[in-house]
Amino acid sequence: MELLGVFENVDDAAAAVDGLIAAGCPERVITSVTSVPYPEGVLVDNTRRSWFHWLALGGALVGACAGFLLAAGTAWLYPLQTGDKPIIALFPTGIITYEFMMLCAMLGTMLGMFLEMRLPDLGRRAYDPEIANGLIGISVTVNGDEMVQRAETALNSAGALRVLNDEVS
Amino acid sequence: MPADRIKAIAASNEAMLSSTRPANWRWYLLAFLLGIVVATGLYAFAHQMLTGMAVTGINRPVMWGLYIINFVFWVGLSHSGTMVSAILRLSHANWRRPILRGAEAMTVFSITVGGLFPLIHLGRNWTFYYMIPYPNQYGLWPNFRSALLWDMMAITTYIIGSSLFLFLGLLPDLAVARDRATGWKKMPLAILALGWRGTAQQWKTYARASTLMACLVIPVAVSVHSIVSWDFAVTLVPGWHSTIFPPYFVIGAITSGVAAVITLMIVIRKAFRLEAFLRPIHFDNMAKLLLTVCLIWSYFYFAEVFTTWYGHKPIEWEVFSFLHSHYALPLFVMLLGNTLVPIPFLMWKRVRRSIPALLVISLLVNVAMFTERFLIIVPSLSHKNVPFLWGTYDPTWVELSITAAAFAGFGLLYMLFAKFFPIVAITDVREETEALRGESQRGRTRLATLVNEE
Amino acid sequence: MKRMESPYKWGMVIDLDRCTGCGACVVACQAENNIALVDKQRFAEGRNMHWLRIERYWEGEFPNVRARFLPMLCQHCDDAPCEPVCPVYASYHNPEGLNGQVYNRCVGTRYCANNCPYAVRVFNFLNPDWPQPLPDQLNPDVTVRSRGVMEKCTFCIQRIRRAKEDAKLEQRAIRDGEVQPACAQTCPPGAIAFGNLADSESLVARLARSPRRLRLFEDLGTDPSVIYLKGGGHEHAG
Repeated sequence: MELLGVFENVDDAAAAVDGLIAAGCPERVITSVTSVPYPEGVLVDNTRRSWFHWLALGGALVGACAGFLLAAGTAWLYPLQTGDKPIIALFPTGIITYEFMMLCAMLGTMLGMFLEMRLPDLGRRAYDPEIANGLIGISVTVNGDEMVQRAETALNSAGALRVLNDEVS
Repeated sequence: MPADRIKAIAASNEAMLSSTRPANWRWYLLAFLLGIVVATGLYAFAHQMLTGMAVTGINRPVMWGLYIINFVFWVGLSHSGTMVSAILRLSHANWRRPILRGAEAMTVFSITVGGLFPLIHLGRNWTFYYMIPYPNQYGLWPNFRSALLWDMMAITTYIIGSSLFLFLGLLPDLAVARDRATGWKKMPLAILALGWRGTAQQWKTYARASTLMACLVIPVAVSVHSIVSWDFAVTLVPGWHSTIFPPYFVIGAITSGVAAVITLMIVIRKAFRLEAFLRPIHFDNMAKLLLTVCLIWSYFYFAEVFTTWYGHKPIEWEVFSFLHSHYALPLFVMLLGNTLVPIPFLMWKRVRRSIPALLVISLLVNVAMFTERFLIIVPSLSHKNVPFLWGTYDPTWVELSITAAAFAGFGLLYMLFAKFFPIVAITDVREETEALRGESQRGRTRLATLVNEE
Repeated sequence: MKRMESPYKWGMVIDLDRCTGCGACVVACQAENNIALVDKQRFAEGRNMHWLRIERYWEGEFPNVRARFLPMLCQHCDDAPCEPVCPVYASYHNPEGLNGQVYNRCVGTRYCANNCPYAVRVFNFLNPDWPQPLPDQLNPDVTVRSRGVMEKCTFCIQRIRRAKEDAKLEQRAIRDGEVQPACAQTCPPGAIAFGNLADSESLVARLARSPRRLRLFEDLGTDPSVIYLKGGGHEHAG
């Protein structure tokens, strides 16, 4: 179950994180939910390594191959003499390869980003729309009634305005 | 006091979302007028498609006219967002924040408008798909040795890339808009926001993706306008066959784009009452950027003219003399708007911080840039290698209507965008005040501090 | 892939010392190739449809004025600047040295016309219109081009085609002088010669070896197949 405590300011939220850790929640299940990014460590410091740039690189390679096949391959399939230019011309092939490479790199970046963020997020999640107005959320994923109780206590004692969870609509 | 902080943030959200408030009669009137201009352009285009290119001013030897001028101009304008948004993001220029969204939106819409012109200028528009490489029963493929195909690839890449870049920037703001929306707007915004919550992991990935996309979109932007310049530079036309064209065009595009961003910022600041967010410091810095690119543009133009003058090749000199004699007024307008006015005036801080002065200067720069495109394309074609076929070019109502429709269409798209989406990068602006700014006691005074971005 | 070869390499020699500027070749070309008619207004607008034009230049001051006539047509360059720039391969180089224009492939970008230094390419700004009874005069061997399409001199490729078919039926090569484009056929002083430059004994090959030979815009490197002869002028007549 995911609990979300909503706080008015950074200090309260930070105290809540400390309280949750003291209550026995490992830091990796605690995260902040904010409408602006806070520097790492202000609230939580547990983000995993990013891997989506590999998809960007993969996209670049796929794009470069596709671009090369498009420019050089189609010229080879349909060889018509134009001017004194070779059938498979170096510079034009290079340009098309480059453009396709960049296009697929950008597509790969976006796709990788969405995959890493696991968006679109269709599931039911704990969220408070007031976070858009500057409230700071601290979310913790706990199992078992006892841990849920201790987490709730930690959040409330740090000054949460309210505590929501993802099972109640 | 804590509640005051929340109230202040809510008010700032509200102010930055002011463009999305229900439209008033002024909005509808402006949209209607712009729609009329667009409709006139559509009528002119239909007339051209049904009658033939004779309704334009195109002739032998000037086979490219106002449509290609528009094409180059709009593609150039689209470099605004990339330069402002991507470059300033990567250089961690903190003052970029309120300008990002406006610039990125401008990029997407101007490249969309610009990308229509290669289709408009075709003699047989309905066969445009011959240029698309698709497998067919005849085994035909387009000619990738042609600069026009490079154009097609580059502009497709840039439209997709800049749209993705715009959407990327919009994502957290769409979440803010979704959370504050009521009524019918809630559902589409919720869908577009893709369930964004703002967890620490999401923000970290988001920051890395923004940096990576910015790194990718800058080389694409440079390549796009270089490729557009090669449409001219790879030919044998005197005055076009110049190696300086790629950097010259790229700088021209950035100049045009930066000036247009300044103009647009002035307009939206007034229209949506964003005076608290678009402050004199932002215009000061944008004006410094404009000064820099105007200086570089002037340098490139001087280099171009200087080598032509000194080399004195007969046919190039002929084109140059023709330009000077026949098109002296446009030449003067171009030099006035790109060099003589911006450079001396933008050196003064008072001018840089004066909104009316910047409005005049930025509009002048873009008038000058449009004229520059004209002066590149038409004089060279008018006086090509064969003197027997020297000619002139006068645009007709068809071309002028379509040009006007392009401007009106751009304005309309921008208005519609601002009505449905936040025109200021909300989370970027708020990130600075909420998460990065602080205060610390240093010696005898309290200093404002700012967290360095990684 | 192998470059396609052909025993023919069509070329033309125009003797400027024989050309009187009469313009018969222009009319013949118009008649042979179904070229659209253009009125005075459109001509002044720069929309004339001449595939072959006589350029007239005046030299000198009165009373020493001379008129120079230059018949200008598609030079069928071996390194044609118009060919690589066409995005759809409507302009290409055929193995016999001709610059081919494929009307039904042309989308009308007009890039080829910009890049032609000789400005010989012609664009159809309107659908052609021949007032009665001129449609009866149209050549059935040549298509009628629609608006939006580029066209230019083809060295009367329809005549070359016809000659190749006849020669194939008779299982022989095309004889020298068998193919005569309309302009060469019509020229009264015989200033235009056409033939196979690859055949060193053909008329055009022999004329092309003349010391009077010149090619237009040689310095641009377009390698044209049209060779002009000039130099035995009036001043040599004593």
